[in-house]
Amino acid sequence: MEEFFQQLTNGLAVGGIYALIALGYTMVYGVLKLINFAHGDLFTIGAYLGLTLLVSMGLFDKIGPLPAVILLAVMVMILVAIIGAILERVAYRPLRQSPRLSAVVSALGASIFFQNAIMAIYSPKFLVYPHDILPKAAVTIFGLDIPVMRIIMFLTSLVLMAALYFFIQKTKIGTAIRAAAIDQGAAKLMGINVDRVIMLVFCIGPALGGAAGLMVGLYYGQINFSMGWMFGLKAFTAAILGGIGNIPGAMVGGLLLGVIEALGAAYISIAWKDAIAFCVLILILIVRPTGLLGERVAEKV
Amino acid sequence: MKRKLCTLGFLTLALVALTLGSAWAETIRIGLMCPLTGSWASEGQDMKQIVELLAAETNKAGGVNGNQIEIVIEDDGGDPRQAALAATRLTTKEISAVIGTYGSSVTEASQNIYAESGILQVATGSTAIRLSEKGLPLFFRTCPRDDEQGMVAAKTLGDLGFAKIAILHDNTSYAKGLADEAKSLLEAQGKTIAFYDALTPGERDYNAILTKLKSAAPDVIFFTGYYPEAGMLLRQKMEMGWNVPMLGGDATNNPDLVKIAGNQAAEGYMFLSPPVPADLDTPEAKAFMEAYQAAYGSAPGSVWAVLAGDAYRVIVEAIAQTKETSGEKLAAYLQKEMKDFSGLTGKISFNEKGDRVGDLYRVYKVDAAGAFVLQP
Repeated sequence: MEEFFQQLTNGLAVGGIYALIALGYTMVYGVLKLINFAHGDLFTIGAYLGLTLLVSMGLFDKIGPLPAVILLAVMVMILVAIIGAILERVAYRPLRQSPRLSAVVSALGASIFFQNAIMAIYSPKFLVYPHDILPKAAVTIFGLDIPVMRIIMFLTSLVLMAALYFFIQKTKIGTAIRAAAIDQGAAKLMGINVDRVIMLVFCIGPALGGAAGLMVGLYYGQINFSMGWMFGLKAFTAAILGGIGNIPGAMVGGLLLGVIEALGAAYISIAWKDAIAFCVLILILIVRPTGLLGERVAEKV
Repeated sequence: MKRKLCTLGFLTLALVALTLGSAWAETIRIGLMCPLTGSWASEGQDMKQIVELLAAETNKAGGVNGNQIEIVIEDDGGDPRQAALAATRLTTKEISAVIGTYGSSVTEASQNIYAESGILQVATGSTAIRLSEKGLPLFFRTCPRDDEQGMVAAKTLGDLGFAKIAILHDNTSYAKGLADEAKSLLEAQGKTIAFYDALTPGERDYNAILTKLKSAAPDVIFFTGYYPEAGMLLRQKMEMGWNVPMLGGDATNNPDLVKIAGNQAAEGYMFLSPPVPADLDTPEAKAFMEAYQAAYGSAPGSVWAVLAGDAYRVIVEAIAQTKETSGEKLAAYLQKEMKDFSGLTGKISFNEKGDRVGDLYRVYKVDAAGAFVLQP
């Protein structure tokens, strides 16, 4: 039984990362009905920018670990948000009126561009965050040894997700985003600047992805240029699992996918871990084609 | 007048071509196929530097039988498709033998192309068993085969006194082959295999796997995959507070392993590998290492590139002894007459399949400073 709970915490830790990245996919899909394939690479950029800023500014020595991490996170999120906005302006906005497939191809192209740009700038080697900048202690909760960092990481992703949820549900801008997601034409008629809403979505999603990249770099230490592909694929799956276009769905889907993987690995087979996760996804989609929390939306005619 | 000029120009060109042609006939061309780009680029760059250095030394000493050596390089990009193209290009460049390449699947894509053109191929880092089981008479390699590593692994684990062993691979054909080989040998020795499974390479979080491994309570973990995953496993194992010893295969022989895991987590980690360049102890190797250091200002990164130097040396030796450059004659010499040739990585002989004979594997252990220390 102890192993079960240990595996549950393993799954939740990975699931928190999946959920953060999945939010980016789901927000863009919700507003534009576009799958932003470059999102996984924005996550990678977050991890690399975090490393560059960390090493070049030496923040940990100057202001201590906690303020350093917070400052680093803010800087990475702002930078990745800017890159996301540029991506939207350059790769997606010119194709707004084109068939949806053109935008998908543009997204794939942007993904390849980012991946190769990172490789060319930072080298194809594995890069490593400095060791011993974060506490390595573990706490014992109900007989389980859990590293403190993992708890902090999980809580951080929960806080970010909660903040996003309230932003979308409770603020005026959030309402505008939801309106644009439901019907862009009607939103325009109501005086909403849809272009600006889309730009904003392309800032928030990548910012969260960049934060996830920084967290992965800080906690797991090792980063390389192709890491976004694996995480992106999993996060995309999580978004579908929870119902793409639905923000709480992405959170639930991410956490659930992490837990399914961990438990599948623990009780069935490690080598079949991914296959098990995708079988569960297919079963859920057969029963609920719109995903766990996705609502059936009438097709626009 | 114009026509006369044309004829004159043509004649001059033809003359130049003829002189050049006869000049070419006096040089012996040896091909080198290596990954100069792609994810194994650092290996390929080292291979190129080593072979070029050795060829320059040969030429300075008067060449082979009075002929100069010319190295013709093609980039395989670490990719089987690109390797097939590179091999086809090399076969058109009048080479008498080819050195390379690093990855097994990449070598495999080029094997038949060289075989059909009658060119001797000496591979350097391709350890997959199947490469020499195809009955290709012109194929040789200076690296050991995977099944030999399996034997050394089983023996090492037995010698260290471990009875309950967990085996973890990553589902690549290399790692799974090694894991299967070691498993069957260990079972034949009467050891308990407490755990046998594969992880997914390229992930960051292996806590789920480690938790499961821990519940199997093995005496030792034998991991047959590559260094990025080995580094993550070591690091996360330490964070779990679990102190089980871990042994790895030769794909974990890379200094980045320690960078990824951190010195503290990597300390005590053991792996099997051909000796690292700094531990090569033959006089040839010492002289070579000094020359390399002088030419490029650093030591070669891994032993796999040094094996390319050995491939060059056996080819040149075969040409010098037989005074021939045809693939069959060279192959016959390497197979039947070359005995205990003193190579950079120890004595070299080949068996009838073209595999290197003799044990090359050593056991290494990571010390507290993160250095790889050869175990006696």
